[in-house]
Amino acid sequence: MNDNVNSQIGFFAQISNTITNPFVKDWKEKDGAVVGYFCPVLPEELLMAAGFFPFLMRGTGSDNTNQADEYFRSSSNCSFPRHCFNLALEGKYGFLDGVVMGTTCDTLKNVMKNWSISPIGTPFVYMVNTPHVSGEVMAEYYRGELAKFRAALEEHFKVEITDEKLGAAIKTCNETRELQRQLYALRKLENPPLSGSDIVSVMVAGTSMPKELYNAKLKQLLADIGETEIGGKKKLRLMLVGSCGDDTLFTQIVEELGAVVVADETCFGGKVIHGKVDEENKDPLDALARYQIVDNPICAKMANMRDARREAVLSAVSEYQVDGVLGQRLGCCDTWGVELYILHEQLLAAGIPSMMLEREYVPDNIGQVSTRVQAFLETMGG
Amino acid sequence: MIACGVDLGSTTGKAVIIKDGEIILGEIVMATVKPAVTAQLAVDAALKKAGLSSVKDVAYIVSTGYGRLNVALANENVSEISCHAKGNYFVDPTVRTVIDIGGQDCKAISLGPNGAPLGFEMNDRCAAGTGRFFQVMAHVLECGIEGIFSADNVSPTPTSISSQCSVFAESEVITLVNNEVPLKDIITGINRAVAGRVSSLARRAGVADKVVLSGGCYLNMGLRAALAEALGCAVNVLPMNPQFMGALGAAVFAQEKAAKAGTQDGGAGK
Repeated sequence: MNDNVNSQIGFFAQISNTITNPFVKDWKEKDGAVVGYFCPVLPEELLMAAGFFPFLMRGTGSDNTNQADEYFRSSSNCSFPRHCFNLALEGKYGFLDGVVMGTTCDTLKNVMKNWSISPIGTPFVYMVNTPHVSGEVMAEYYRGELAKFRAALEEHFKVEITDEKLGAAIKTCNETRELQRQLYALRKLENPPLSGSDIVSVMVAGTSMPKELYNAKLKQLLADIGETEIGGKKKLRLMLVGSCGDDTLFTQIVEELGAVVVADETCFGGKVIHGKVDEENKDPLDALARYQIVDNPICAKMANMRDARREAVLSAVSEYQVDGVLGQRLGCCDTWGVELYILHEQLLAAGIPSMMLEREYVPDNIGQVSTRVQAFLETMGG
Repeated sequence: MIACGVDLGSTTGKAVIIKDGEIILGEIVMATVKPAVTAQLAVDAALKKAGLSSVKDVAYIVSTGYGRLNVALANENVSEISCHAKGNYFVDPTVRTVIDIGGQDCKAISLGPNGAPLGFEMNDRCAAGTGRFFQVMAHVLECGIEGIFSADNVSPTPTSISSQCSVFAESEVITLVNNEVPLKDIITGINRAVAGRVSSLARRAGVADKVVLSGGCYLNMGLRAALAEALGCAVNVLPMNPQFMGALGAAVFAQEKAAKAGTQDGGAGK
């Protein structure tokens, strides 16, 4: 890739490799509010319509959980929220005016409890009850939860979140999804112009900078890459499935072994680019609830969507010409524990090479992980 | 043609030379803190046994094991999963399941009829179910690793060890010692606990007859018996020293790669 594209990727990487990026600082200097949210099922559109800067929480840069461990007494919780919480205890999330959790999994519920009793001191701490079953009844229920959430934001921050503002935020985020789908389309090429870790950088940056600006930057990147295919030897093409997916390091470890990650179904990546929120719906809260609970309910927390998850992975395998699927779950992640086991069996039954591995949010067992991934690539002829 | 495989494990280094089809096992050397140094020691030992004077006589060298990266004398590295599969299958093509218990890891590999790995599983970072676990227990019991491995210490009335963590299992064993539980019962209990962990790992990878045990822990007679019981099938040990299977697999890869590349003698070290 040319220097121009490389420097644009560098821009996104700088955002995704830090927590307090220049946009956060700038926003705070102008007295804007930043609200962190812990799961993409919580619509950032609501926060944008309130005039806030939504920041999808991550543990970037954390190297221990010493302070958080004082709060998480149970040993059965995964390392992602513990690292995020530890950063908050260290003061790295001091810029937050509010933080919102979903009832996505038990560990996140514990983050909510711990955040409330900790000295972090975020002024607004809120939990949205997020359904674990897809369907019309649950979409209606979730609409109600979002209405309560809207009211709570309005009351605490003394703002008004109108349907009109919500409609505008929905349009902006739909544009982001559309641009990100164009970005993902580049991965379908025989020699993708961007590596999997570059894609992670671009995707993560989208969760921590003003959306309109992000859309403009992404549009520029897509225009400058154009249809360029890079030359070189064809690499083994992997798809990444499972927990989180916000750190470039894990993808780098995989790609340094000679493969290229061309697709993913993770919370910071492929899972959030599907479809669009209905802009025609007169009730934008209903549109947001339906998007999450009925139209795009493939998150592993959804108990009745196992077939849909399998189909999503299988169709990505064929669309992106995936040679093998790499499933990864964070240790103690219950949500992905059973899922990956079942998916593994289903993939093998469909004749698709698959490997599942357990890891920690901050990779402390790089040697083991690379041995396994290398062996997996060798079994596919890599 | 002369090819060499070198397996740089966490505890020991091993090298194997294949000289015109003849397999020559080197010596087991203790791992140093520098894999490149361990590699040199292991390869030198194998060269000596093969009657060769210099690494320059070797056409191709493949490294494997934890220290496989950044070993300058190797032409390339292959993961230990592929090498253990290759080595065991090379010695006995009827092998379908390889269980390798080394110093700090434990792996189970299921092989297809052509010897290619169909699936594999490895223990996670923890040391339970590895050679290190036995070393810790030998220290606590003051019986030496030989005591843990001895067929004389297999008891019909084993105690139960329920902790899956080496550190917690250590305190569990100390409690048993303090309660004057017979040594044999504790040792058999330890071997059964490891066999239990290893067998569930193996079942995840897929177990099919013939099952072989490789790696240094093949010497543990109590573990072999407990593993056979846990898996419900015979656990075999190949006629060639099972500690060299990773190095042998690497040597077979080296031979294949040299043949493919048409490399002549004297190509090692890049």
